[in-house]
Amino acid sequence: MDQHPDRRFGRREILLASAGMLLGAVTSSAAESRSRAPIRFGLTPVFLTSDLELLGRLQSYLQQATGYPVDLVMRRTYQEITALLTSGQLDAAWICGFPFVMHRSELQLVAVPLWQEKPLYQSYLIVDRDRQAEGLSDLRGDVHAFSDPDSNSGFLVTRAALAEQRVRPEAFFSKSMFTYGHRDVIRAVASGLAGSGSVDGYVYDVVAQMEPELTAGTRVLKASEWLGFPPIAAPRLPTDADRLKELTRALHRMRHDPEGRAVLGLLKLDGFEAQEAKLYDPIAAKAALIAEAG
Amino acid sequence: MLTLQPSLPITLKVPLAVAALMMLVGAVISEQVLSRLAETQERHLAELSQSYLDGLSSAIAPSILREDNWEVFDAIERTQAVNKSLHPKETIVTNADGAVIAASNPKVHPIGTVIPVWRARDASNESFSFRAGADDAKAVRTLSYPGRVAGIIYATFDTRHLASERRDVVLALLLTNGILTSLLAAAGWLLVTRMMRPVRVLSEHLGVAHATSALPISDEIVAKTRGEFGHLFRAYNSLVRSMKEKEELAKRLAEEKRLNSLGRLASAVAHEINNPLGGMFNALSTLKAHGHLKNVRDVSLGLLNRGLVGIRDVVRTTLTVYRSDGATRDLQHADIDDLGLLIGPEARRKSVEIVIANSLNGAMPLPSTPIRQIVLNLVLNAVAAAPAGSVVNVAAAADDTGLSIVVTDRGPGMPPEAADILLSSSGSPPPYDGGGLGLWTISRLIADLGGTAVVQNPAIGGTVVSVNIPTATAELSNVA
Repeated sequence: MDQHPDRRFGRREILLASAGMLLGAVTSSAAESRSRAPIRFGLTPVFLTSDLELLGRLQSYLQQATGYPVDLVMRRTYQEITALLTSGQLDAAWICGFPFVMHRSELQLVAVPLWQEKPLYQSYLIVDRDRQAEGLSDLRGDVHAFSDPDSNSGFLVTRAALAEQRVRPEAFFSKSMFTYGHRDVIRAVASGLAGSGSVDGYVYDVVAQMEPELTAGTRVLKASEWLGFPPIAAPRLPTDADRLKELTRALHRMRHDPEGRAVLGLLKLDGFEAQEAKLYDPIAAKAALIAEAG
Repeated sequence: MLTLQPSLPITLKVPLAVAALMMLVGAVISEQVLSRLAETQERHLAELSQSYLDGLSSAIAPSILREDNWEVFDAIERTQAVNKSLHPKETIVTNADGAVIAASNPKVHPIGTVIPVWRARDASNESFSFRAGADDAKAVRTLSYPGRVAGIIYATFDTRHLASERRDVVLALLLTNGILTSLLAAAGWLLVTRMMRPVRVLSEHLGVAHATSALPISDEIVAKTRGEFGHLFRAYNSLVRSMKEKEELAKRLAEEKRLNSLGRLASAVAHEINNPLGGMFNALSTLKAHGHLKNVRDVSLGLLNRGLVGIRDVVRTTLTVYRSDGATRDLQHADIDDLGLLIGPEARRKSVEIVIANSLNGAMPLPSTPIRQIVLNLVLNAVAAAPAGSVVNVAAAADDTGLSIVVTDRGPGMPPEAADILLSSSGSPPPYDGGGLGLWTISRLIADLGGTAVVQNPAIGGTVVSVNIPTATAELSNVA
């Protein structure tokens, strides 16, 4: 955003500064919050959105850290969030590596979460705990659960692995479904509704810690290579550079703030940091592969 | 229940009847309660299951057309989670062809499997089935959109909690009814025992009265008892008193009778001894006056001897009657002739002539003493009845069958009551007033010998008494 200053932002800043001076520079941050437009931050249900406490604390931390009111915007699919993001209706959103690489020209990286101190995660191919299978090829004819057609770990990785074998999912699997949630992929496989599923390795491991009874009925058949963790992205042209700057700083400083650490603790993450976009090149390669396969 | 054993005491019968009635009432009420409970449970369950199916239908309606397995599954799970009170056991959603889109337990009903035909048959219309006490209830809902069937929902609900609720109600009813029945039966027992206490007092007294003699109910108890039972007790006591008076009177009468009988017996014995005494004194005077004449002396001594033998026989007869022992002597011709001598003085006193036609020949196998007594008594009666100057005929004859004695007098005829005494069987009691004792004795002796008596009152007047004594050996041994 620094590279893309916004003229309106400057004007608003000046106006606010003048107002602040007129008020004898005693304006409280709360008063500021009320007078400012909120930061709109997008989340998808693919992530751990079922936890209302987490959402509340995340919102509270971001408001306190940025000084802006924060609206957490949730949609059912990555596609909807990505559309809102690329159309400038969100200041930033926690999306997935796949939509990020697909919309790379329209988006910029804001922060990448650190999981086990790395900005990386894996995609898991999971099956029923008692199932005799050794690899993807054993899953032919399955009912397969994907999380989201725009998810890297929940779709792209498996789709690309099949593409390498020159097979399309609808031909390989007897049926595939989208649950629009990594946790629901685990539920689908654990219940037996789906014979196998593609799931975010980070979500699977966190669920295994938090709700061991849910993952108990499943096992990881295959873990992918390490790939870039779902990032927080913003429109390449920010809707409001200052809001984005505050948001970016709040995310990067999260691990240094007690409230931020509490939120990270709920997320089982270590923090957020700036990363080069090339972190997502392997995902981009997979996307290219399936685009080629058609 | 109303046909209780009559031998049971009323203090048991009433509580038993109360218990039986309570059980009947309890059974009827329980039946009502349980059928109402079953109705309520079924209605409640039907309503809940309909609301469950309504919720699920609206949740899956868009997904079912897309055959979105996950959305349908998720909707089933969420609907089951929010309808926990309904205890959904299994829910299956199929498409119009019966192929499973999603089921609450996908491992049992995987996607795409066609569920059994018998269940699909229900799909033609909406149905709900539940049986009271069953472990589950089933509901089926067909999701129709204008023109076509989109899908079918089969839901099974766990109703074991309803069955256990039913069992609890049954248990509660049993306990309540049991306690109530016991309490009422106990109350009935107490009440009846209390009510029956005077009856028991009366019954105990009557029981004692049956075993020994009636005792009056003590004044203390009578004073404490009011109402009908008070009257009853007083009436019972007066009855006991009057019974006691009667008993004592009867005792006195019996004693008097005993004395009377003894007197009459003594009189009879005296009479029998007295009869030959006149003849014997006569013989003694004859001996004193003409003892030096051998033939006179012999006749008189023979007469004395027979008189003494007669007296001995009377004594023996008396002993026989009262002791049933002693020796018997066969009847001789002289036994009948002697009677003329025995009765002679009495006959002369009354100016009656006795004519004896004795055709007995030698000894007859009949005991002489009772026959002599019979004849003696009959002749004495005849002499007593005969008018002065008349003749009393005595005929004694024997044939193969036995002895026949006929005594005829010219008296006014034997009165019917006297004839009744003579002809009565041996079992009848002696006459009360002492009159006719001679006749009663005759009748008993005749009966003992197995003989018969006939009394005739001929048109010319007087009385003919005929006595027949059979000589059959068996009968003799019986009478001896």
